[in-house]
Amino acid sequence: MSRDVSPHASPAAPLPPEGASPAWGGPALGLLLEATDLARHYSVSRGLFQPKATVKALNGVSFTLSTKKTLAVVGESGCGKSTLARQLTLIEPPTRGSLKIRGTDAATADKATLKTLRRDVQMVFQNPFASLNPRKTVATTLAEPLLINTALSAAERQERVEALATKVGLRPEHLRRYPHMFSGGQRQRIAIARAMILNPGIVVADEPVSALDVSIQAQILNLFMDLQDEFGTGYVFISHNLSVVEHVADEVMVMYLGAAVEIGETTRLFASPLHPYTRALMSATPALRKADRRERIVIHGELPSPLNPPSGCAFHKRCPLAMPRCAEEVPLLRDVDSRRVACHAV
Amino acid sequence: MSLLTIKNLRVTFGNFPAVDGVDLTLQAGELLGIVGESGSGKSVTMLALMGLIDAPGKVTADTIEFQGRDLLNLSPRDRRALIGRDVAMVFQDALTSLNPSYTVGAQIAEVLKAHLGLRGSAASKRVIELLDLVEIPDAANRASAYPHQLSGGMNQRVMIAMAIACGPKLLIADEPTTALDVTIQAQIMALLLKLQREQGMGLIMITHDLAIVAEMAQRVAVMYAGQIVETGPAPDLFDAPRHPYTNALLAAIPEHNKGAKRLSALPGIVPGAMDRPAGCLLSPRCPRVQPKCVAERPPLESGVRCFYPVEETGHV
Repeated sequence: MSRDVSPHASPAAPLPPEGASPAWGGPALGLLLEATDLARHYSVSRGLFQPKATVKALNGVSFTLSTKKTLAVVGESGCGKSTLARQLTLIEPPTRGSLKIRGTDAATADKATLKTLRRDVQMVFQNPFASLNPRKTVATTLAEPLLINTALSAAERQERVEALATKVGLRPEHLRRYPHMFSGGQRQRIAIARAMILNPGIVVADEPVSALDVSIQAQILNLFMDLQDEFGTGYVFISHNLSVVEHVADEVMVMYLGAAVEIGETTRLFASPLHPYTRALMSATPALRKADRRERIVIHGELPSPLNPPSGCAFHKRCPLAMPRCAEEVPLLRDVDSRRVACHAV
Repeated sequence: MSLLTIKNLRVTFGNFPAVDGVDLTLQAGELLGIVGESGSGKSVTMLALMGLIDAPGKVTADTIEFQGRDLLNLSPRDRRALIGRDVAMVFQDALTSLNPSYTVGAQIAEVLKAHLGLRGSAASKRVIELLDLVEIPDAANRASAYPHQLSGGMNQRVMIAMAIACGPKLLIADEPTTALDVTIQAQIMALLLKLQREQGMGLIMITHDLAIVAEMAQRVAVMYAGQIVETGPAPDLFDAPRHPYTNALLAAIPEHNKGAKRLSALPGIVPGAMDRPAGCLLSPRCPRVQPKCVAERPPLESGVRCFYPVEETGHV
């Protein structure tokens, strides 16, 4: 994994040519991301005379992501999905654990290396109405990453912007317009183009289609897949919509209260979910066809407060399979049926 | 006699018809699902029914009848007495619909006071009963909580408690679970279904999630650009959609594309104020468009608004 040969080695490195083969990363092809026991804790004030409390928003998550693969992160609000996204995009340093991007450890990297690493991880946000600057034209928005990160001339920047805009399904005249002149689906196309313009190895997409209607959602998901085919980007796809996840992901990580409860290959995980929380999530998802409907497993109550997590397994208070052991001992991820599951009962 | 009859409802904002000739009927105790993309007019239809459209919006209709009473020519006083008691609504975002300055108990008690004249301990007793009914644990204490102290799911339960406080005959739920997680969504849906069965309410469920409607509703109306384009009993409509729009919506869902690399997407977006086509409203996006579709607007005939409905059964 010698990342020195990758085009991202220096900030001024030329961008790969248009229509480059998916393997443009050359020797860097393969492992993009390697997270080991990644954790992020926040300390929160509980009032003037109270000691500070610690919220373990992300509490030890390990996974890998390879070129041209999609890892989906699934879970309810408060499970640490967005904290994970902040870790992967190097916005915050982890409290514990390590994150390697193309083999380079982000924790020990110096400032210049961090800058090139950040270039390699881009993000698409949930709400395209809030994530685009209303005062900038589409062309300015798309050219800005190039202006900051590359030594391209104005003409070269424009050429790249136009080429990518066409790829994401925008017309040349759209480039002079402002975000308010676009519908939600088109804005998300602009946001995707902005993420892809530096040709990153990794794109973290935080609920990229949940604000969109079904017919538009299909257009955007197709766009994600087309871009992946062409550029070989690895996606970390954060979503709570399981049918979307089943469609796009190669691997799925189900999270609950800051930790992964089940990680496995998509088809296998959907065919036979093992963790009771995964099963509950799947059974709670409504399905159009009778054949796709699973037996409803009703889980009661809500996600516990991360300030005061339950002892032992975080899920045991809502779990239909809970045993006395679950309240005492935290289950660790172990290999079961060619995937990793954290549960005493399976 | 049906519980609700709407004929030729139109809501216009300036020249833009947000709702363009909608007919709806609902029997007592029936569950109707209205589905469609954003901008299709589903919420505006229900706001018009509730009398919540303000100027410059204009509401016209041939008939809006609720239990045989004409809602169009009702005096504001009579309308206020009816809305909230016999017809109630649950909105999408519970946290913004609740008043942050009052406890949830006080807000439920307000409904009881306004419509049933309950006060003091009688009202607080009923508030706790209602919170119990919507399965809020520790109801007696939660009644004195403010909305920000409760989770999204709990707030939505409070909204439902408020809506069913006076035993409405008709409950309108506008995207009641869109802001919630799937496990909480399942809990809220189960609760709504249980209340609907127990209290014999008519329930109109507005959503953009076709799967929810497919699982719950007895009858479905699919809306597009202010019109109902297809309506029919629930399982049949989803098993064999006849309107190209319903067909395309169903085909776009990942669930229907198992094993396929690409989703079959409907190109384009819902027409806005400026680009309403002269012919069929779907004609610019429709894969089956014919010259006649561009020239004329099709009428809603035997449950489908299309000159050339999809014949074959099974869309996948």
